[in-house]
Amino acid sequence: MFTPEGMTRVLIAATKSQMEPVIREMYRQHLFHIEEFVEKDKKEYEGYRIGTPLPAANETSRQLLRLRGINNAFMIREDEADSGGKQKHGHLKELVERELPSIEQEVEDLLSRRAKLDSQIKEYEQKIDALKPFSSVPIDLELLRGFQMFSVFCGYISRNISLDIPHEIIVSESKKDRFIVLVVSNQDRSIAEQALQNAQFQAVPVPEETGTAASRIGYYEGQVLAVKGELEEINRRLDEIKKRHKDFFLACNELLTADVEMAEAPLRFATTGESFIVEGWVPTERLETFRQGIHYATGGKVYVYELDQSEVEDVAPTEYHNISFARPTEMLMDVYSRPRYTEIDPTLLISIIFPIFFGIILGDVGYGAILLVLSLGLQRFLKGDEGQKLLKVLRNASISSIIFGILFSEFFGFSLPWKPILFSRHLNIGGHAGGHGPDVTSLMIMAIWIGVLQITLGRVLGMVNHARQDHGSHRIKAVMANLGWIMVLWGILAMLWAAFPMPFMPDLTGLPPVVMGLNMGSILGLVLILLGVVFIVRDSALEIVELPTILSHVLSYARLVGVGLSSVAIAMVVNFIAIGLIIEPQLESLTAFGVIIVIMGALVFVIGHLLNTILGMLGGGLQSLRLQYVEFFTKFYKGGGKKYTPFGMKKRFMED
Amino acid sequence: MADAATAVAATEMTVEMIKASQLGMKALGAGLAVGLTGIATGIAEMAIGSAAVGATAENKDVFGLVLLLTVIPETIVIFGLVVSLLLLF
Repeated sequence: MFTPEGMTRVLIAATKSQMEPVIREMYRQHLFHIEEFVEKDKKEYEGYRIGTPLPAANETSRQLLRLRGINNAFMIREDEADSGGKQKHGHLKELVERELPSIEQEVEDLLSRRAKLDSQIKEYEQKIDALKPFSSVPIDLELLRGFQMFSVFCGYISRNISLDIPHEIIVSESKKDRFIVLVVSNQDRSIAEQALQNAQFQAVPVPEETGTAASRIGYYEGQVLAVKGELEEINRRLDEIKKRHKDFFLACNELLTADVEMAEAPLRFATTGESFIVEGWVPTERLETFRQGIHYATGGKVYVYELDQSEVEDVAPTEYHNISFARPTEMLMDVYSRPRYTEIDPTLLISIIFPIFFGIILGDVGYGAILLVLSLGLQRFLKGDEGQKLLKVLRNASISSIIFGILFSEFFGFSLPWKPILFSRHLNIGGHAGGHGPDVTSLMIMAIWIGVLQITLGRVLGMVNHARQDHGSHRIKAVMANLGWIMVLWGILAMLWAAFPMPFMPDLTGLPPVVMGLNMGSILGLVLILLGVVFIVRDSALEIVELPTILSHVLSYARLVGVGLSSVAIAMVVNFIAIGLIIEPQLESLTAFGVIIVIMGALVFVIGHLLNTILGMLGGGLQSLRLQYVEFFTKFYKGGGKKYTPFGMKKRFMED
Repeated sequence: MADAATAVAATEMTVEMIKASQLGMKALGAGLAVGLTGIATGIAEMAIGSAAVGATAENKDVFGLVLLLTVIPETIVIFGLVVSLLLLF
């Protein structure tokens, strides 16, 4: 529960003729985490080379590339697969050989035809655009070009022109602009140009077409329609293929991906001319299954050897081994760092403590209920493992928030019909507010207690970790240093208890003084502190500068109260503004205008609480996470473990 | 002359007024405690935060570590908060 899944280092050695069955069996079992072979790494591997891919690798990669191209064109995603049955591996393989190429050919032909038609449509549309200006000119376009004695100007002008030279002009006006076709003899050309320039003339080239523009536009529009019809037909056929073969494509993708991964596996092996060796990790619980599988698949022609932990330099990969309640919290652990194989895995602790802290900060039945509904509702829409885990963490946190809401007697900043069972967090906000006010001292002391206990727990875990991981004289020193930190912490507490009476804390002020006005409590505290410091210094003298962190880390837990109170304050202010200041005065003598004000007040209420929910979720989540990461983990947790990624894949579309 | 003026003022102040004035001073102090420490934390986190985002962009694995480093100066504002809460209540 507090340790990762146990792993055993396994070495497989065999002749190259057994390579393929071994790879196939390893892939099928999805248990073996391959440790990649690096050349010139170790002495015992002298003369070994990295292996070469299996012969089928090239051809399979090519097939996979082609298939992925088609999958991309169809935009097929894995999550849109119908939940149909799985295909048999052998049958699928046969289909890939026999049917896939012809389907792929058909799809590729259709796709290239579609691309061609698309570019054709674009071409026609360009031509139509070029013809449009001339659409109301009732002259054959051929008559507008190729003159030797005349100059033809076609284009837009922004104001009327008047020419006192011989000319012919056609003007077509629309709402937006004015298009002209002007013909003058060549000798008057410069006069015409001048006049046109004054009218801000923008020339338009005459399209290389015969016939009137209107008739040509009609012709091209007809063409576009025809091409679009054909395009629709092609799209319909592509859709049909997609619908019919979608699962087949996905299954083929899976099969080919698996084949490529298997074919390329020897790149991670150590090989000689005739043999190969591969090392890796297998979960100890499943070791026997793995060994039998390999034995069965190769007829016992393979040497499978368990290496002792002491023979291995690398650290085993880490696979979480948690009860199902703690599993979603693994995501929060991965954000920080995966635990090392030899380390205590604190996932279960975090899965309990994180929601409690979240609840203490955002202890409100209303907000908790909103977040609960949100986390349950989003579960259907959010795909992916990480997202699901996050929602489950949020769900647990919001349930805790509701529970603490009941204890704090809070509902959107209002109080529930009972007195706070734990401590009051109600502030005196609003015109007719009164009463006791928040019980800040008690809340603070609660936070301090939580801090002291969690930090002590962290140090205890630190002792366990050092006892497990370290060797020799450093081991005992490191363990003692952690004990030293605990002693200093509790020593300071004992001295405080002896000096000041505090609520919810042992009162040692009443003890009789022994020497120099110090009583037993103070002396005990002093001894603890001194001894603790000695233990710490014996491990590392530099750690002395870290001593003030004892105080700052414990006080850091005050954020549980501080952030929580600020959330309550915002909620109460929203209530006061929306109800006390906007809605209530209107309700006393309701007018038509007053109804609008009341609606606005309701709006302020909703938006304010929405904002506070988001703030509360971020504040409650991040602050309590930070307490785990900074205050708790720094006491014992290193992280940096390798992820356990067994060779193989989860098959979704095929079965053996 | 000045002494006389303060003497007159002092005689005119009632206990309620002094209490109210003290309450105001407390609130002012609490506000200053949170506000100034907040600014200090902001300044401290500014540099760390931008470096942290840069580091995360280069290598996603350091996210946990840099989040930790970024929030370390928050302790300052928490101390301010503690002081102000103790002042107010």
